[in-house]
Amino acid sequence: MRFMVMVKADANSEAGVLPTEDELVAMGRYNEELVKAGVLLAGEGLHPSSRGARVTFAGGQPTVIDGPFTEAKELVAGFWLIDVKSKAEAVEWVKRVPCTDGVEASIEIRQVFEADDFGDAFTDELREREEQLRLTTKKDA
Amino acid sequence: MRFMVIRKADEESEAGVLPSAELLEAMGRYNEELVKAGVLLSGEGLMSSDRGALVTFSGGTVTVTDGPFAEAKELVAGYSILDVGSLDEALEWVRKWPVEDGHGNAEIEILQVHEAEDFGHVSEENRKYVGDVRELADEK
Repeated sequence: MRFMVMVKADANSEAGVLPTEDELVAMGRYNEELVKAGVLLAGEGLHPSSRGARVTFAGGQPTVIDGPFTEAKELVAGFWLIDVKSKAEAVEWVKRVPCTDGVEASIEIRQVFEADDFGDAFTDELREREEQLRLTTKKDA
Repeated sequence: MRFMVIRKADEESEAGVLPSAELLEAMGRYNEELVKAGVLLSGEGLMSSDRGALVTFSGGTVTVTDGPFAEAKELVAGYSILDVGSLDEALEWVRKWPVEDGHGNAEIEILQVHEAEDFGHVSEENRKYVGDVRELADEK
């Protein structure tokens, strides 16, 4: 089963503070461990919300609001997509994320939908079309 | 440049209400358009937060809290990664979001994804190392 592991934003990430060289290397080593265990599917870091936007649909009508957005802890600063056997295994991996002593960090773990989870609404035809799409986009999945 | 397009959770997604056949089809068509335009890199839907957990690091101590988490609108219900020329182009795509989603009431957040060039302060050797690890993950 797949889990999305999201690092929540904080004042530093929202201020655009980049990881130091040491932090980046520590994260690289952690990612290397995930790769060697066959667990890591994808991962990205995100810019602060000042470079982003929100689109709110109400009654089908979109309204665009430019960032930044105020509540850092509601925002995502980066994520991993991992493939593990259980939520407990996901939690074990997340406990080992390199977080320097004294640093506060909040990491959310969420299970990813698989085709089988959608039941009959996801007809054979729709599933086939989605599989084709995934093949086309797979290069960066 | 790449953008992460995040569909925020709402009461229905947090209650575990699954998408209707109509919504699945509309979303499939939308994704097909993105793929045809060469814009879609990946995308996933997330289960309600009661299947998840929160891991908090504070002063070297790790705390695990099981979901669900209270504020639906703060949570992520799904995402796509788009490769486009600008934030405006990402916004143009998001404006075409299927109205079937959230009964026409959905909140979508767009955040820019970091590229290797953003880390100019890091030595070439270490940037190459991080890039090599990424390639290994991409092969999976």
